[in-house]
Amino acid sequence: MSGSRLLLLLVVSNLLLCQGVVSTPVCPNGPGNCQVSLRDLFDRAVMVSHYIHDLSSEMFNEFDKRYAQGKGFITMALNSCHTSSLPTPEDKEQAQQTHHEVLMSLILGLLRSWNDPLYHLVTEVRGMKGAPDAILSRAIEIEEENKRLLEGMEMIFGQVIPGAKETEPYPVWSGLPSLQTKDEDARYSAFYNLLHCLRRDSSKIDTYLKLLNCRIIYNNNC
Amino acid sequence: MKENAASRVVFILLLFLSVSLLNGQSPPEKPKLVKCRSPGKETFTCWWEPGADGGLPTNYTLTYHKEGETLIHECPDYKTGGPNSCYFSKKHTSIWKMYVITVNAINQMGISSSDPLYVDVTYIVEPEPPANLTLELKHPEDRKPYLWIKWSPPTMTDVKSGWFIIQYEIRLKPEKATDWETHFTLKQTQLKIFNLYPGQKYLVQIRCKPDHGYWSEWSPESSIQIPNDFPVKDTSMWIFVAILSAVICLIMVWAVALKGYSMVTCILPPVPGPKIKGFDVHLLEKGKSEELLRALESQDFPPTSDCEDLLMEFIEVDDCEDQQLMPRPSKEHTEQGVKTMHLDLDSDSGRGSCDSPSLLSEKCDEPQAHPSKFHTPEGPEKLENPETNLTCLQAPQSTSGEGKIPYFLANGPKSSTWPFPQPPSLYSPRYSYHNIADVCELALGMAGTTATSLDQTDQHALKASKTIETGREGKATKQRESEGCSSKPDQDTVWPRPQDKTPLISAKPLEYVEIHKVSQDGVLALFPKQNEKFGAPEASKEYSKVSRVTDSNILVLVPDPQAQNLTLLEEPAKKAPPALP
Repeated sequence: MSGSRLLLLLVVSNLLLCQGVVSTPVCPNGPGNCQVSLRDLFDRAVMVSHYIHDLSSEMFNEFDKRYAQGKGFITMALNSCHTSSLPTPEDKEQAQQTHHEVLMSLILGLLRSWNDPLYHLVTEVRGMKGAPDAILSRAIEIEEENKRLLEGMEMIFGQVIPGAKETEPYPVWSGLPSLQTKDEDARYSAFYNLLHCLRRDSSKIDTYLKLLNCRIIYNNNC
Repeated sequence: MKENAASRVVFILLLFLSVSLLNGQSPPEKPKLVKCRSPGKETFTCWWEPGADGGLPTNYTLTYHKEGETLIHECPDYKTGGPNSCYFSKKHTSIWKMYVITVNAINQMGISSSDPLYVDVTYIVEPEPPANLTLELKHPEDRKPYLWIKWSPPTMTDVKSGWFIIQYEIRLKPEKATDWETHFTLKQTQLKIFNLYPGQKYLVQIRCKPDHGYWSEWSPESSIQIPNDFPVKDTSMWIFVAILSAVICLIMVWAVALKGYSMVTCILPPVPGPKIKGFDVHLLEKGKSEELLRALESQDFPPTSDCEDLLMEFIEVDDCEDQQLMPRPSKEHTEQGVKTMHLDLDSDSGRGSCDSPSLLSEKCDEPQAHPSKFHTPEGPEKLENPETNLTCLQAPQSTSGEGKIPYFLANGPKSSTWPFPQPPSLYSPRYSYHNIADVCELALGMAGTTATSLDQTDQHALKASKTIETGREGKATKQRESEGCSSKPDQDTVWPRPQDKTPLISAKPLEYVEIHKVSQDGVLALFPKQNEKFGAPEASKEYSKVSRVTDSNILVLVPDPQAQNLTLLEEPAKKAPPALP
């Protein structure tokens, strides 16, 4: 399983590299200062979102294997995501019927709402007793990539919907106390929830972006 | 009453139980949910494994509820997925939502429920294998032939809209081979294979995978037979290249064999051995030294014939600042012949120096420049300073038609082949070389000049350079000393003693001087040259006192009365020393 994921990552990153050769660099001075093609922006965003989802899945599996065996944490993880208030489409038909503006703002909302939890995740995983490097390194990487993706999405949003107001409210995470609780089981359960929600939301972002990519850039002819 | 009724029920139940136990019936065992899979992220199917049925016909039901809902649903479709399966159609499928699924086994005896399975459709995607795999051999006209593999995406995957992102893996091998050749593609549904072995039957399989999910099963094997005459690689080109390189190798080998040595010498010219004119190496090898020396002697040594070609050399003793008139021995090794040196007659008034550009530029132009003489300088050279040695001095044709003076270049015991710059403090920068005074004096206006040969065997060269006034007829050369500069060789430098007195032909009644000796404190003792006419050698007067300097380049010497006592030979004062016009 991880072998195939790695393969896909390699393939995707090869694509990224090839793309990187011919495409212009991303505007260093922010949007509006240079014209990066929308196609390139989308390509990049899809790469990053794919990567984030891969990392999240691996991190979750790693944690599950080490800390959650036979604990039944999954039962507690139902309905525990702080982003469940966002009205995200839940199957293909719903997604296809959602306007790309809405989809993009949903993506932005998800990305923004994960900034804070990711930051605390890194801090708390560091402090976790015997935290394996596999989890910590991925957490750090995801935090970084999330910021990059947010930047890219803001650029795409600016190009696709010029003049749209960006400041939509996004769900706020309040799970820090449960990450810091003394009770080890409760703490591990909180971690489990967070990683479970991260895996799911990264999958949403990835799917929506790929859908938008095919819709906008390739005209539904991927 | 009640108690009776209750006990009766219990009794009947027990009867039942015992009866069924006797029959081997029991409630069903717990079924087990095996897996759930979604072929296209739009629907999914779950399969379970029934347990023991307890001897009674057992029904299985599947119930589920979604994350965030309390309502429990039953499986909508037990048929589509096959036995012991439940198929969730699009309507019933939600992505990013946890399904809690349970299977219940019911029989007459009871119900058993499986452990719940938590399923999120996002993570259970496993597509079908790609469909419509076709193989075709193509022979385009101006390109290499290839195998063209085509397929289409698996069923139930919506690739066009981008909902399902897919990648493919194709593998092929000759039928008998063990290892597969694999290829990957992302979106394209075709592949071209080159480099196939003719006459083989190839098997081809394909499978696919979503961006996040499981690999599909391999498609059934497709096979194709490559015809025997299938042109493979461009071996023809390689054959041609191989033949061409073989031919070239053969030609080179043949050339080397034929030319052989001359080619080698052309590429790597041999190091020239030393060649001394008149020096027969073979004689030396044979050990016949007598013959060797005789052969040498037969050469012009000392040079007497081509004195016209010889430049006059001047000995000039300069006024050096630190009173150190360092000799610049330029001695050669004994094996080497005398190098002739062209004097640079420039404003330097004919003084050459070891550092002079003319000299340096001429050096080694002809390392085997005409060794007209053989010179064996010997004698200890106890100079304190490092020596500059000029070993290759060449005598290019004099531009002014002057001859060359062969200079004897004596090498010191530790001679180096290249002159190196001397620290100026030690040497007078105007000092140059030793001219071993095999002087062939031109002038004094003489047409023919003879060289004074000097016995070099235990000589050190003169330190002073001689300036030569050439091309002026009737001018006498003088040996001059600049006043105040004691030509002080360090130790043991002795002025070369003339042993052979070659007669000087003088048109004018000038007196020549010859160097007699140098006194202990380095004073040059000069004698007027004996005139052969006089026959017996008279006691010569030693001219070692400078009377005056005329014309800025002529030194007038008078005999030094004081020095007379030191001289071996004395003679009465001669007439006035020669005066140059």
